[in-house]
Amino acid sequence: MAPKRPTTPAARSGGAPQTPSKQPATPLQQQQQPPPPPPPPSSATKPTAAAQSPQQILQSIWSAYVRRTPQRVKLIDAFLAFLVVVGGLQFAYCVVGGNYPFNAFLSGFSATVGQFVLTASLRIQTNPENKAEFSSVSNERAFADYVFGSMLLHFICVNFIN
Amino acid sequence: MADSAVGPFLQGTTGRNTRGLLRLVILCTIAAAAVASRLFSVIRFESIIHEFDPWFNFRATKYLVQHGFYSFWDWFDDRTWHPLGRVTGGTLYPGLMVTSGVIYKVLRLLSMPVDIRNICVLLAPAFSGLTALATYLLTSELSPSPSAGLLAAAFMGITPGYISRSVAGSYDNEAIAIFLLVFTFYLWIKALKLGSAFWGALTALFYFYMVSAWGGYVFITNLIPLHAFVLIAMGRYSPRLYVSYTTWYALGTLASMQIPFVGFLPISTSEHMSPLGVFGLLQIVAFVEFIRQQVPSKQFQTLLQSLIVAIFLASVGILILLTVAGVIAPWSGRFYSLWDTGYAKIHIPIIASVSEHQPTAWPAFFFDLNFLIWLFPAGVYLCFRTLKDEHVFVVIYSILASYFAGVMVRLMLTLTPVVCVAAALALSHILDTYLLIDSPSAEAYLNDGTRADSASSSTVSAPQKKPSSSAASDSLRSTRDPLVGIYSSMSKLSIAGAISTYLLLFVLHCTWVTSNAYSSPSVVLASRLPDGSQHIIDDYREAYQWLRQNTPNDAKIMSWWDYGYQIGGMADRATLVDNNTWNNTHIATVGKAMSSREEVSYPILRQHDVDYVLVVFGGVLGYSGDDINKFLWMVRIAEGVWPDEVKERDFFTARGEYRVDDEATPTMRNSLMYKMSYYNYNSLFPPGQARDRVRNSKLPAEGPRLNTLEEAFTSENWIIRIYKVKDLDNVGRDHASAMSFEKGSKKKESTSKRRAAKALRVE
Amino acid sequence: MRWLFSFLILALVSVVRGVSTKGNRLLVVLEDSSEKDSYSRFWDDLGERGFELSFESPKNDGLSLFQHGERAYDHIILFPAKSKGLGPSLTAQNLLKFLNLDGNILLALSSKAPTPSALTSLLLELDIHLPPERSNLVVDHFNHDVLSASEKHDVVLLPRPDALRQDVRNFFGGDSKDEEVIAFPRGVGHTLGNTSPLLAPVLRAPRTAYAYNPKDEADVVEEPFAVGQQLNLVSTLQARNSARFTVLGAVEMLSNDWFDAKVKRSPGERGAAKGVKALKTSNRAFAKEISAWTFAELGVLKVGRIEHYLTNGGTNSTSREVNPTIYRVKNDVTFSIEISEHQLTHYAPYTPPATDSLQLEVTMLSPFHRLPLTPSTAKSPNSTVFTASFTLPDQHGIFAFRVNYKRPFLTNVDEKRTVTVRHFAHDEWPRSWAITGGWVWIAGVWGTVVGWVVFVGVWMYNAPRGGAPRAKKVQ
Repeated sequence: MAPKRPTTPAARSGGAPQTPSKQPATPLQQQQQPPPPPPPPSSATKPTAAAQSPQQILQSIWSAYVRRTPQRVKLIDAFLAFLVVVGGLQFAYCVVGGNYPFNAFLSGFSATVGQFVLTASLRIQTNPENKAEFSSVSNERAFADYVFGSMLLHFICVNFIN
Repeated sequence: MADSAVGPFLQGTTGRNTRGLLRLVILCTIAAAAVASRLFSVIRFESIIHEFDPWFNFRATKYLVQHGFYSFWDWFDDRTWHPLGRVTGGTLYPGLMVTSGVIYKVLRLLSMPVDIRNICVLLAPAFSGLTALATYLLTSELSPSPSAGLLAAAFMGITPGYISRSVAGSYDNEAIAIFLLVFTFYLWIKALKLGSAFWGALTALFYFYMVSAWGGYVFITNLIPLHAFVLIAMGRYSPRLYVSYTTWYALGTLASMQIPFVGFLPISTSEHMSPLGVFGLLQIVAFVEFIRQQVPSKQFQTLLQSLIVAIFLASVGILILLTVAGVIAPWSGRFYSLWDTGYAKIHIPIIASVSEHQPTAWPAFFFDLNFLIWLFPAGVYLCFRTLKDEHVFVVIYSILASYFAGVMVRLMLTLTPVVCVAAALALSHILDTYLLIDSPSAEAYLNDGTRADSASSSTVSAPQKKPSSSAASDSLRSTRDPLVGIYSSMSKLSIAGAISTYLLLFVLHCTWVTSNAYSSPSVVLASRLPDGSQHIIDDYREAYQWLRQNTPNDAKIMSWWDYGYQIGGMADRATLVDNNTWNNTHIATVGKAMSSREEVSYPILRQHDVDYVLVVFGGVLGYSGDDINKFLWMVRIAEGVWPDEVKERDFFTARGEYRVDDEATPTMRNSLMYKMSYYNYNSLFPPGQARDRVRNSKLPAEGPRLNTLEEAFTSENWIIRIYKVKDLDNVGRDHASAMSFEKGSKKKESTSKRRAAKALRVE
Repeated sequence: MRWLFSFLILALVSVVRGVSTKGNRLLVVLEDSSEKDSYSRFWDDLGERGFELSFESPKNDGLSLFQHGERAYDHIILFPAKSKGLGPSLTAQNLLKFLNLDGNILLALSSKAPTPSALTSLLLELDIHLPPERSNLVVDHFNHDVLSASEKHDVVLLPRPDALRQDVRNFFGGDSKDEEVIAFPRGVGHTLGNTSPLLAPVLRAPRTAYAYNPKDEADVVEEPFAVGQQLNLVSTLQARNSARFTVLGAVEMLSNDWFDAKVKRSPGERGAAKGVKALKTSNRAFAKEISAWTFAELGVLKVGRIEHYLTNGGTNSTSREVNPTIYRVKNDVTFSIEISEHQLTHYAPYTPPATDSLQLEVTMLSPFHRLPLTPSTAKSPNSTVFTASFTLPDQHGIFAFRVNYKRPFLTNVDEKRTVTVRHFAHDEWPRSWAITGGWVWIAGVWGTVVGWVVFVGVWMYNAPRGGAPRAKKVQ
């Protein structure tokens, strides 16, 4: 069946992909645990000085994020960050250098924004916590939709930028 | 249970297949009925394009089919708006023409060559069948009852509110736009329910198709964000909403900017700012949800919530600032006049003068929707009871559409789909409750209300069903006395009978309305003679055919803009102004030429290379849609541009009346329009008894004199009159003197001139 | 030998012939056929130039200017009639209709005969005003002929007229360097209205001339009809279709006696012309010029080929597309028009006067360009080609290339060619990579695409392992 095929390259490549294969199982288990641990640090730090809490909260968020999120989701997040950087650069150039071929600016900027949104949608759809919401959309289906949407987006952007 | 012979067909898989087949047959029948009820004018008259706007669409489609897509895309039309021309390829919505062109090419490919005119005439009925199907799909998403979808499809197929703009021959944008509207809404609801990016992308694609088809796409552009916003405000934010909305917005907006006519509007006008705003809001809300999952601290949450509200208000403030600063264009006149209904009459008389833009009179709701209009609020109420995300959509759609339908007659069209859907929901609820042969039993109640003939999945919300015909009861009583069903056969029979009667009356009403009110081609007029037989008045086509056969190919015709598309389509001649009304100054120039004296009009006619002037005059027949009745609009529009030269009050008598007889003001009598309408009119009557049947007045004994135009053609019932513009006089006289010389009065050397100082000649 | 000699004479005579561009049927309306002989030299001159003369009396019922809706004659000469009316077929409307159908009219007046009312009303329509009294005479006490009119002073002597304006061709100035004189015996003057641009006087009375009514008994003329340069003796009207109408104040100018009479000028103002010797009048040459101009032998411009094409459309005339119907905004276009002038017998290249020039208008409702048309260097034997090159304005629409050249004594040239100027097509805009400002965004789009491809690859590469063994089993 088609959905199984993407896994064969994983089988061929060797050891590294082994860990991701276990990952779909672990986040489920790990997801049960996180709700209790984070509140104590935040509630514990609340009574302390205000200058400390944002720093500590951010620190705890970051460590929790690195610990908890699966490899795939981190991949998505890396791509999202890349898109944000590219989009920001384009917008900065627009502000500095003017937006003369306006359709080009719109096309480039909207390409990053649209891709960001589509990738974020993929992230949401493949998040196991949201499984109840997406009862009819499996992970593979989500990815297929993502590819379809992205190709549409690229086609439109290339046509737009002429 | 059921009969033993039919029994096997109604149970299990066979039962499901039977029901599916039955549904298919019903839908095909509905589509056939929809097509059939739109064919009245084709059967009575002929396969002809109706009215005014469709003639332009037809001409554009012919061009597309003849010259190919890229020529059409780059088309510069030099036969309209002479001498300015019109960049037609970039100022129309190409969806309709491209659809017809594709159908034409496909049929030719299948070696079934159909004339392009027949394709254009029959496109609207064909798409109305598809609209019925789309309504079925939409309603099926809203209600688990199988009858709701079918009822909605049936209503949509024959309701006059939709037929009015989709009869055979009405080749206008709404023909495919309503289908796309309903189908896009169906796809949006589906995307929202499933949370699938694929359906969201499909919604975007069909939204793009809709943008290419009709200017009313702004309705979708504002309704979907409003729906999303209300869901967020109700606290119903969910990841499905994020996925479906953002996919739709990103892809749909980018795609819509590919249409040249839309261009950069989606990011620079106020009408398109709401989806952008909701998009931003959704990003913020999603981000906050994401953070919240990482840090579920209550105080942090309240902090974040207040942060959301602050950011939202700030962005709204920025949007308003940008609008005030002019970076974002404010609401354009056409859409602004929907909010401020008095705006157009003062500032944009062209919009106010269109009869379709007038406010709706209340009988129009009954005329166009019959008994659906009172089922409509009941259906909306039912949506409130099962308030899932898609039902919120129906509620919002109905509120918005009701407002717009009340403001402008033309927008009854956008109200019709939601009325059909809501009425179908209400009616199916009634029928599902009452149309059961067997009495309800306690077991049926314990089975959580799953009926034997209901094949759809069970609803998640309240399993209790109320009898919809009874008055609204509060929830407390319903929890105390759970509903089981209707026991009495008498009530079942009477309700079923009443509903059937209403439905039959509905069909009768729709057919009658279609036949009498909406099937007139308006190019051909029909009236009844005293003996009952039909008398066809074909003056329009007679005149256009005369133009086509008797004038040179590059002749320029000046007429009021109402007839521009018809002249371009049927007579195939260049016109000065037409129904597109994109250039107000040009129209005002024509208005000034029509409303000024000949000495002022003639230079305007010469400057614009006008060869023929066309006027519509209804005085012989009593046809009240003629140019003298529209004359004040011409004056108003001209006055808007030249307030010093054209004044509306000069056309009213001292007592404030608009007269055409002896008491008409000199400005009125000397205006070109008056002269052209009544030139030679006295010859039809015994001397001194000329009578105008529309204005019901007796005209002065001496008819007007035309110096600069000569009569070229008058149609059989004097409805269309065509005049040829005379060339400059060969020996340099002014036309009035030339005409008097021709008539025989000779100039006399005035003796008094010799006493006064003579003007000396200088070389 | 003799036959050779006569053959040569005939050939010479034929060279002298003028060939009218408008046809050669000439009608002479002459009431008194006895007068015909006193103008025989004039008829002979006309006959030599190829005209077929028909002499009719205005009273003739069978006379009709039109036949089957067309003109029966190409030109008319109207001689003064003694009776008041001109007959049923020579009404003012008919004569105007004759003019409107491209016919030329030469009207001769005389002080001895009152002008019929049909002619006065016709002249009034053309804005030419005759004196209201039935008899009127032009006299000049300083410029008359002392040999024949020493008492009445009613034979006015005039030099050849100058050009009307510096930029107007003068066909009546004569070409000899000697002093020439034209006699105007017993004629009627007229005044021209000021509003019509179609009127052009040829011969205006000298400064000291005036018109008066000889029947008037008074010694002093209190209100002369007109005086000096305001009194026109010979004037012309060229209608918009280039039909020509000439009013000749004295019909005796054309008579045999006055064709080469000997005249001696009176002393003139302050004795300026005292002692001048007798001259022969140049009436014959003047009559020839007047009739040649009126009957479309002189001053006729013919427009040959009109071409417009893209300047960059190809080097020679076979490869480029000539007279396309549609251009694009900001195209470079060259326009050329070929004009020849008819000079009595043949067509020659036309050269406008030094201070005058042809002009091309590129208009849509109002002119966008007004350019001088310069004669091209290539000379062709019969015509001059005028060209202009320009860039179409940055406005789409329906433009007209118009050459509107209307000068006194030359036929009107009003040629208009309509072209459509379209906008830029969707593929005529510069591509995005050609605009340097857009490179960043091109990079943005393609960066996104490349990043996406990499992402998809890595994603599929990182797919969960759990599915692989199952796949092997199924296969």
